[in-house]
Amino acid sequence: MDIICCPLDKQELELDARQEEAEEVIFGTLTCTQCGERYPIEDGIPNLLPPDMREA
Amino acid sequence: MTDLAERRGMETDVYQPAEDSHLLAEVAAADIRNDDLVLEVGTGSGYVSEFVADATNSRVLGSDVNPHACENARERGVEAVRGDLVAPFRDGAFDAVLFNPPYLPTDPDEERDDWMERALSGGESGREVIDPFLDSVGRVLAPDGRVYLLVSSLSGVEEVVFRASKNGFSVVALRDESFPFETLSILKLVR
Repeated sequence: MDIICCPLDKQELELDARQEEAEEVIFGTLTCTQCGERYPIEDGIPNLLPPDMREA
Repeated sequence: MTDLAERRGMETDVYQPAEDSHLLAEVAAADIRNDDLVLEVGTGSGYVSEFVADATNSRVLGSDVNPHACENARERGVEAVRGDLVAPFRDGAFDAVLFNPPYLPTDPDEERDDWMERALSGGESGREVIDPFLDSVGRVLAPDGRVYLLVSSLSGVEEVVFRASKNGFSVVALRDESFPFETLSILKLVR
């Protein structure tokens, strides 16, 4: 969390952890505190692609 | 690292470690300090990140635009983030950034839209991914941060050095190695 940010406006992200294992978030959501854009965490990997690159 | 067609003998969704990966891993690991926070952009299989983390005890994150690459890297024990170059990382976060970029010059008419193409192709100039990387990487570097960038003679080393200088970096070549079709260099960029 101290390393990543919103790829659009570089603002802080707020973490909503749904599933954690060994202090690691496996599933959850990161939400930009500024623009409100939401980024999923799936299988331990945050997907911080901007929305227009997210398909595929 | 011959040509694209030849590389395609081995169809997979993720670029597998090759001479370029070994070269970047070795040279970067020898130069990185134990307590550095390191980002590898375009980590692919995660090989370079794992090598550097093991050799230096530094914390190494791997990022890639390709979801299959992120999965591979994570399976190797590398913290993976899916993202576009350095876009999802904080200002001044990293002591070192590593990148073995897609650099093969490619005829636009022959480009295919798949993950292996994106791992290899640097567009017509060979620098279509390197250029935006050079323009943006400075933002995520700590004040004394360094970039370790692999470049090939195929995509033009001088042009890469020029672009890096324009972005305020001084450049030294840490290692050059000749292969049948190209020379690979590891450039270290500092400010």
